[in-house]
Amino acid sequence: MKISVNWLKEFVDVTSDPRQLKSDLTMIGLNTESCAPVGDDWVLDVEVTTNRPDCLSHYGVARELATLYRQPLQRVEVFLKESGEPTSAAATVEIADPDLCARYCGRIVQKVQVGPSPDWLVKRLEAIGQRSINNVADATNYVLMELGHPLHAFDLFRLRQHKIIVRRANPGEPLRTLDGVDRTLTRDSLVIADGERPVALAGVMGGEESEISSRTGSVLLESAWFEPVSVRRTAKSQGMHTEASHRFERGADLEMAPLALDRAADLIQKVAGGEILRKMIDVYPRPESRKDLLLRRSEIARILGTEVAWEEVERILCGLGFQTERQGTEGWRVSPPSFRLDVSREIDLIEEVARHVGYDRLPARVRPAPPRVERDITREKIMAVSSLLVGLGYHEIIAPAMVDPAENQRFADCAPVMLANPLSQDASAMRSSAVPSMLRAIRWNLDRDLRDVKFCEFGKTYSLTTEGTPEERRVLTLGATGHRRPASVHDSEKVVDFFDLKGDLGTMFAPFDLPKLDFEPSSCPYYEEGCCGRLTSQGIALAVFGQPRQDLAREYKLRQAVWVAEIDLEHLLNFSLRPRQFRPFSKFPAVERDFSLVVPDGVPYARLAAAVAGLDLEEIRRHRPVDRFRGGAIAAQHHGLLLRVTFQSQTHTLTSEEVGGLSQRLLAVLEPLGVRLRG
Amino acid sequence: MRPSRTQTLAMTIDEKVRKTLAELGVTDAAGVEALFGEVRAAMEQERSSLVSHGASSEAERDRLSKSLRDRWLARQNGLLANIDERWLKTSPKELKPSVGKSFNGLRQAAAALEMDALVKGVGLKIPTKVAAVDAAEIRGAGLRDLTLPGYCRPLGSLHPVTQMQREIEQIFLNLGFRIEDGPEIESVYYNFDALNIPESHPSRDDWDTLYINAQTVLRTHTSPVQIRAMEKYGAPLYIIIPGKCYRHDNPDASHTPMFHQIEGLAIDSDITFADLKGTLDFFAKKLFGEKIHTRFQPSFFPFTEPSGEVAISCIFCGGEGCRVCKESGWIEVMGCGMVHPQVLHNGGIDPEKYSGWAFGLGVDRYAMMKYDINDIQLLFQSDVRFLEQF
Ligand SMILES: [Zn+2]
Repeated sequence: MKISVNWLKEFVDVTSDPRQLKSDLTMIGLNTESCAPVGDDWVLDVEVTTNRPDCLSHYGVARELATLYRQPLQRVEVFLKESGEPTSAAATVEIADPDLCARYCGRIVQKVQVGPSPDWLVKRLEAIGQRSINNVADATNYVLMELGHPLHAFDLFRLRQHKIIVRRANPGEPLRTLDGVDRTLTRDSLVIADGERPVALAGVMGGEESEISSRTGSVLLESAWFEPVSVRRTAKSQGMHTEASHRFERGADLEMAPLALDRAADLIQKVAGGEILRKMIDVYPRPESRKDLLLRRSEIARILGTEVAWEEVERILCGLGFQTERQGTEGWRVSPPSFRLDVSREIDLIEEVARHVGYDRLPARVRPAPPRVERDITREKIMAVSSLLVGLGYHEIIAPAMVDPAENQRFADCAPVMLANPLSQDASAMRSSAVPSMLRAIRWNLDRDLRDVKFCEFGKTYSLTTEGTPEERRVLTLGATGHRRPASVHDSEKVVDFFDLKGDLGTMFAPFDLPKLDFEPSSCPYYEEGCCGRLTSQGIALAVFGQPRQDLAREYKLRQAVWVAEIDLEHLLNFSLRPRQFRPFSKFPAVERDFSLVVPDGVPYARLAAAVAGLDLEEIRRHRPVDRFRGGAIAAQHHGLLLRVTFQSQTHTLTSEEVGGLSQRLLAVLEPLGVRLRG
Repeated sequence: MRPSRTQTLAMTIDEKVRKTLAELGVTDAAGVEALFGEVRAAMEQERSSLVSHGASSEAERDRLSKSLRDRWLARQNGLLANIDERWLKTSPKELKPSVGKSFNGLRQAAAALEMDALVKGVGLKIPTKVAAVDAAEIRGAGLRDLTLPGYCRPLGSLHPVTQMQREIEQIFLNLGFRIEDGPEIESVYYNFDALNIPESHPSRDDWDTLYINAQTVLRTHTSPVQIRAMEKYGAPLYIIIPGKCYRHDNPDASHTPMFHQIEGLAIDSDITFADLKGTLDFFAKKLFGEKIHTRFQPSFFPFTEPSGEVAISCIFCGGEGCRVCKESGWIEVMGCGMVHPQVLHNGGIDPEKYSGWAFGLGVDRYAMMKYDINDIQLLFQSDVRFLEQF
């Protein structure tokens, strides 16, 4: 809210310069973004939090400053010149729905001259960003800005039967509001009606028909109190937000209604002439007295960590409009003022004390938690995996969770979680697959000619269970394309392929205590046939990886081979970290031999490995394929495979004969697979 | 003179093939069979000996297998040629069939030997002295240019937001806090109601919310985990809660619909505002440097009371005033406050016995501030030129 410093000075003796004022207001919770000179005035932009509607006015801000600066706050007093008949003889007010309108005050000013406002009024409103309309409207607006209470002025002669009825709207009732919009009302809306039809949306906006115009002779002024939730609902359902609704929905001041009414009537008379009828109408069915609160000194100390002197507490609370009464040594009985609807508990009073003592003057101490014993194993696992991925050259990305449902559907067959109010169609579903976001990330780089990319993403996928409840799963996604390493004098360039990903996955799983990691070729609707694999442990799928299908690759403009892996973190994180245990290594020399094998094309390496493993020979310490080739002397439908085997015994140095024997057994077990030594 | 049995046994195969059957004392079919068995065993032994011995190079392997083949199969003076000459051609008539049969068997075995891939498949010994050779090469011959760049394996990186998050987490872990987690798709109850933000109150509008349905939202802050943790663990409780949050914000240089928050919560029997101030000041100094100052100013959050904002003296201008701090000398870094008694109550903790403090901060903003990133969109574009700088 814009606050004029000159205006404030009408209520409190402000001597500090505007920059200081800005900082002082901020330090008592009225965050002031800026202070700017406007003519001979300074205007502050004060950010008022939703709990403090009382500060949506100059008077409210002045009260805070008066308390802060220990200055008296000027009282608002109005001495009206009333004349003629009582107001109630010229108009009637009825509250049909008292649950939504606790009080309705009205006054009539007759024989007004509606016209432009005097300069001082225009200037003051314009300084705080308000447009001048006419003298009557400006007067009500002035009082709104001054005292914070919204008022409305009706053209009395447009009110049928000179009647005001505050009631719920009938479904479908029409009303054209001041902004020229034709509205259809619902039962939820509270309206001000005359003898026949709605003439205003209560607490939100008046109707066009009863608007003050140059032809208006008599003005009916409304100063009421509408129930916050009802105003909020009415304004929301009509998509409106006005100065009036802003204040009513935060809670206006019940006791301010008559004062603000008198202040406005007086001002109208001053700027537009006219006669104020005697005795206001004040319909106030059930005046409510607010509950007193108990404020304990011990509670202040328990929350703030320091004692606050009796007098200091009283100075602050009384300055802010509270009444205090000491209760022995315990504390105070406190009556909150009517404009502080936000104060309803002891803690609210403690906050008032803290604000005006000053947060910066309260004590401070560093407070560690008591020692704890549990380890955060999940965090340790994620740290282990992410460190490995960084070492393997993967850059971590963070991808959006909200995606295009159509795109998502191509990568997942479960029902996605849809947003009811998405920002856009292409961000209207929660992703149930992380693959499309990875492809998009890679595409972003390929489009910019950044061709060597390795990405990992720790994120979630979201889906609906069969019961329709949303489910979140932690997933890790890898994407790789381009060269394994930049070209160098030491090494030729090599393009990343399936086996890079397969190897990286193996490395990544290394910290985990997986009883066994099994690989099997797999298929997946969005991976190229024959370019997709799956890693499982004890039948639990840990990772699926492959190369996106060619049509998808074209769609995502992937101009080079891209490899993607999806790792199910929920499953992976269920495995414990590998326990560290030393097993004595053999003291005897190891012997390595290469076997040049001829393998029929239909026999995958995994079968050779399984056959060798099936021998269960301790002395065959290790074996791995080191070369694979075709052509030359190799027969058709066969390929050459160079198998490097390490022989070692735990108990003695192997003799040539033993190695020969082991070699024979190795070859013998491969023979049924059609694998022969190369001739 | 016929040699004795012992003499015959002591003879090598090479010696035996130079003698006739008669000279070897072989006179019957059984003797022929035993003799040829001996030859075949010798052949097999030599073959497997070669295989297990291995070779240290292709060339050596070829040489070894050629010599084995030549020794047995050479037309001139090969062992088989000698056997043909001395044993078969000169054998007595009655022994000829059995000698012929055995010799054929031997020939086939030898032919197999020649064809046998073992000869070619002799295991290669793996050279082990490569490094030493290289070192010598580098020192001696000067073939290498030591100023060439090293052999590099490019490292990846953790996302700056993750790095920032871990840095913040670590400070609180050092203070003994635990890390808690919660769902991103959250109920309206946990996201708002339990945090003292009723639907009917305008404060609800401070959170532009993405809804799944009337009861479910994408959490607008990590605060719902406060309630969940209170319910789960009770008091005392010292936790921080990092995680993704969502707002109905159109993307621009400082907004994204998805962002990262860290929430902190300490509940104990004697927690005061002083602990909030002291601990957050400690945290800010550890993160932004010991030289900074903190400033606590009152604010409003429905779930804390008293509520505050923490500002630090501008890390760019030292408090003099600059563009980043909008000439104020201060940068707001987090919201905080004493946990509202109603919130403690909603979490099942007695507010008369326990009190607590809480804070919430935006990790993305911290990363931007500390790493000098001027556009929040950079964080989520996955541009490798951006990521590799961290
Ligand atoms: Zn600065």
